[in-house]
Amino acid sequence: MIVTPQIFARLVAIAVLAVLLQLSFFSRVELLHTSADVLPAVVVSLGLLGGSLSGAVAGFSIGFLVDCLLVAPLGSSSLVLLGAGYLAGLFRERFEIHSALVPPLVCMALTLFAELGFAAVQLTLGVDAPVSPLIVRDMLLKSIYAFFLAWPIYFGLRRALRPALVEESRVTRRRQPTVLGA
Amino acid sequence: MYRKQVRRRRAVLTLLILGSFLLLTLTYGQSSGGLQSGVSTLFSPLQSVTDRALKPARDAISWFDETFEARGENSRLRDELVAVRRQAVAGQEALQENAQLRKLVELDGGPALAESAYDPVAARVISRSPTVWNSTVTVDAGSGDGVAVDDPVIGGDGLVGQVASVQGGSAQVKLITDHASAVSAKVLPGGVQGVIRPDVGNPDDLILDFIDSTRDVHRGQAVVTSGWRAQGLASLFPPGLPVGEVTSAPIVEQEASQQVHLRPYADMANLDLLQVLTGGSRG
Repeated sequence: MIVTPQIFARLVAIAVLAVLLQLSFFSRVELLHTSADVLPAVVVSLGLLGGSLSGAVAGFSIGFLVDCLLVAPLGSSSLVLLGAGYLAGLFRERFEIHSALVPPLVCMALTLFAELGFAAVQLTLGVDAPVSPLIVRDMLLKSIYAFFLAWPIYFGLRRALRPALVEESRVTRRRQPTVLGA
Repeated sequence: MYRKQVRRRRAVLTLLILGSFLLLTLTYGQSSGGLQSGVSTLFSPLQSVTDRALKPARDAISWFDETFEARGENSRLRDELVAVRRQAVAGQEALQENAQLRKLVELDGGPALAESAYDPVAARVISRSPTVWNSTVTVDAGSGDGVAVDDPVIGGDGLVGQVASVQGGSAQVKLITDHASAVSAKVLPGGVQGVIRPDVGNPDDLILDFIDSTRDVHRGQAVVTSGWRAQGLASLFPPGLPVGEVTSAPIVEQEASQQVHLRPYADMANLDLLQVLTGGSRG
């Protein structure tokens, strides 16, 4: 990803918008007793578009903002989301994304990874209450929701960040000029 | 060139991971004060605007979800209606008896209801944590409205939680379903006392641990805050706030303590307007 000041501003706007939408909308809407978590999907999409470094930095920043707004222990969300973003970026660097199904599937898998990560961090920090088995259902449903939400998120972000994407600009350059009347 | 890139990437990743661990170590168990408070204050007007703008969309999705669930709930409510009718008749009798007893002991104001010592401040939920591990909501009332840390928070149906941190125009409320929550409570009638803790991951279930295993607790009994006060210490919650209803009370013999499950009266999934009980003396 080629990060110009304009693209940086767009990335900041995307992160802020994603966090605001998550906290004020997605966290408060429940389907089958579970709310969607779009933040891992946003971080994974940024990782898939920009590579491992972009994914990790995006994950750390978005996690930091969430922890600040929730007045939660700083670093817990950052740690998990930077892992998800980094893995998404590694995937992009190692494999070609040939099918439109790949980004949603990666989002789904890494959302599950992030949910397991949140649980691991929380259990490490100490949980003073019994844990319900329903938490497994919550994690699985969140990753299924991520699969469906990844479509608009990934393709929307690709559109918003098109000028910064290395592959996209290559494709644009390769395109043959249209000859009128030909 | 490629090696240099890889090295730089690894260095940034290591820095970010170390940064996360450092932040966790420095801020675990305490807020980072200025930073989190500043960011939260900066964002609370934005959150408020986003919350109001997206309310119609949220309501529309909730309507679909609730309609789907309403079919199953209908039969359960019919059963409950029969039980509640019986209780209402019994309640009428109890009210009459209560009025007579009050006259007898000349408590014309009645036992001071806990809420009366407090100054309720209305607050709207503007955001909610995305994970079940930290069950917190942010409300649009803060220290400017008289809200302070540890103030009890109630909804229309009962106790919701307590204020965990506060800024000028907003406050974070730790819900009773949060893993770090503990509420001293008693079962009515009978007065069995215990501590309510959450069942993490299941917002419709709370667990009341109590010591006195010789006392029976039955399904359908109400649980309210006990609001104890002893030797200068006091509960953070005033007495008499409704918390939930006993849903199951497994009889475990040969156990020194017992656990019963309850369903919170407050609908934790759809919190919108709340009241923060500010001021007043604890317990």
